[in-house]
Amino acid sequence: MGRAALLRYVPGAVVALFFAALPLLATGSDARYVLKVFTFVGVNALVVLGLALLFGYAGQVSLGHAAFFGLGAYTSAYLTTRLELPWIIGLLAAVLVTAIGGMLLALPSLRLKGHYLAMATLGFGEIMHVAFVEASGITGGPDGFSRIPLAALGGFVFESPQAKYWLVWGAVAVGFIIAGNIVSGRPGRSMLALHGSEQGAVASGVDITGLKVRVFTASAVYAGVAGCLYAHVVGFISPSSFTLHNSVIFVAMAVLGGGRSLAGPVAAALILTLAGFADAVFPGLSRETLAVIQDWQADLYGLIIISVMLLAPAGFAGLYRAGLRSVGVKL
Amino acid sequence: MGKASWIMREGRLRLLLSVVLIFGLLMVPLSGCTTPEPEDEAEETVEEVKDPYVIGAVLSLTGSFAGLGEPEKNTIEMEVERINEAGGVNGHPIEVIYEDDATDPETAVAATARLIDKDNVLAIIGSSGTGATMGMRGEINRAGIPQVSLAGGTVITADFDPLVFQTPWSNALVIPYTIDYIKAQEITKIGLVTDTGGFGADGLAVWKDLAPGAGIEIVEEQTFNPGDTDMSGQLTRIRATDAQAVVMWSAGREAATVAQNMADLGMEIPLIGSHGNARVEFIQGAGEAAEGFRFAAGKVLIPETYGTDTESYQVAVDFIERYTERYGKAPDTFAGHAYDGLYLVVEAMKRLDEGFTSADLRDEIEKTSGFVGIGGVFTFSETNHNGLTADDLVFYEVKDGAWILAE
Repeated sequence: MGRAALLRYVPGAVVALFFAALPLLATGSDARYVLKVFTFVGVNALVVLGLALLFGYAGQVSLGHAAFFGLGAYTSAYLTTRLELPWIIGLLAAVLVTAIGGMLLALPSLRLKGHYLAMATLGFGEIMHVAFVEASGITGGPDGFSRIPLAALGGFVFESPQAKYWLVWGAVAVGFIIAGNIVSGRPGRSMLALHGSEQGAVASGVDITGLKVRVFTASAVYAGVAGCLYAHVVGFISPSSFTLHNSVIFVAMAVLGGGRSLAGPVAAALILTLAGFADAVFPGLSRETLAVIQDWQADLYGLIIISVMLLAPAGFAGLYRAGLRSVGVKL
Repeated sequence: MGKASWIMREGRLRLLLSVVLIFGLLMVPLSGCTTPEPEDEAEETVEEVKDPYVIGAVLSLTGSFAGLGEPEKNTIEMEVERINEAGGVNGHPIEVIYEDDATDPETAVAATARLIDKDNVLAIIGSSGTGATMGMRGEINRAGIPQVSLAGGTVITADFDPLVFQTPWSNALVIPYTIDYIKAQEITKIGLVTDTGGFGADGLAVWKDLAPGAGIEIVEEQTFNPGDTDMSGQLTRIRATDAQAVVMWSAGREAATVAQNMADLGMEIPLIGSHGNARVEFIQGAGEAAEGFRFAAGKVLIPETYGTDTESYQVAVDFIERYTERYGKAPDTFAGHAYDGLYLVVEAMKRLDEGFTSADLRDEIEKTSGFVGIGGVFTFSETNHNGLTADDLVFYEVKDGAWILAE
């Protein structure tokens, strides 16, 4: 195996192994808490994987992904809690509903370009947030939806923090592999062509509208699955998790992660999610310090987006590639 | 060649700069953790005696209910200091870990999980709001620790959970009391305006349940969402009816807006509120429009109503004096709820032997009988975790920017 191949695959394998083994490594008195936080990291990573396809490869911006996240969460919560259907049905329904939602939004709005598309998704996000608040018969209104059953497959209930962690990170692994297959094939090349130049892509025979709709739908489904997992891991959801603020955080993760990469956005999801739960990784951190971080979190995200745009537009992925290049490895 | 290498060097420079910047951004707030805090040292000297008993407090310190969370936190801080100066609980100091739920159920749930999984708290006080209190229930059940809520929704104790206690008078107590008052004013038709949050939604359900039976007709029902900034539309609908009074059920800061909108619309009919409005912020926010506003609440606003020869009066006056001295203003009913919540837990701890568990603590809180608090005299039972009665309420009116007893 050449040096390039080593550098290309070994880090990924190490990282995958680390995440798979984390529940076995976390044994301290606050292991429950640490695992819970890393489970949230996994949920966010799944949303950001979808955004990586949309933003990082196809170059389209969505400011409405928290709405798809919420759509998946409420769909599954409603079916499993009110109608008492099994979790797997809730999951499939979440996939279906977010796919339809993504397609319905994509069909008209993806004819728009640049910031008009961002505006359309922004509007969609706001409409869905109002719906989550106002449709209180289904969503429970501003007080949210509680007592959502835990995820269960067959007779196995994902009850322990370890089981929940593996469930979510298992989904992340599957999502990563699927996304990896999409981007390494023809659709991936078409997406990059679209990103580079829309006219160029059309001239090369890429059906850009169809491609945009498919990518947008796929990324909505990623968010929907993440929403379903979130609802059944936490057992409680309310509209405040599905606001523009959350959409912006997802975009921040995708931007920081960088384009043409899946691992970069996942790393960004890890770092930005942990910022709010810094006491999970630094056990000695005082509560006051944590409170300061949480107060400044939104500002921190904003600064990160600005500085990435200015200084390293290619994000983590770009830095990693530049790092490899500087030691003489060509990718 | 020279130019190419310069570009490369600039590329590396940018790379280096951005790495430094990003990590700098992440690290600056973290650097605070390395400086030792004097507080910790103080705790250590106490810890030499015995390990502290750790209680979690989930309060709404920001958001719509910030006006509730602030006096609640003030009270708990002041009383914990007092308890620890007096030797704590059988030699164990009390340590309270505060979490701000930002008047958001989701944040309350995350805060509860953190208190349970990371800090191993014995009990949780809070939250300030009904919605947050109900959201926390899943985590409370999972951990099996007692929760003493400071929120006034009926659902908190009506939807009974053996682990959950409540210190304010629930809507099921206050609404019949308010109905009696309204009837005494010869009002039979009311327009109801409630918020869609936990407390308001709960109030709406109780009103609809009780008013018809008491001969009161709700001629118009309007709701608003927490965070709304104008209720003129809802009030205009009520103005178009023959309602003789507007009844508002909401504990958020939006209540002041309702009063102001009514004044702006020139509505002359009285505005009657809930025990969720017993706060100075309401009077300050509504200004002139608050004049004549009436609501039922506990006796702490005018302690003479306890009866000057009662133990309640002594407890309340002592509390009011200490609170006023420390914070420069008199405590409101919400401070009282926090006082009651803290002492219900601490007094139960005092009655228990060393090494008790959260389950023991729950059982002991349930055995509370005749505890003289600020909200009233508490007696819990296996089926009643509210423990107060309508005798603990009086009707207030706002006059000249202060509370007086309503006639």
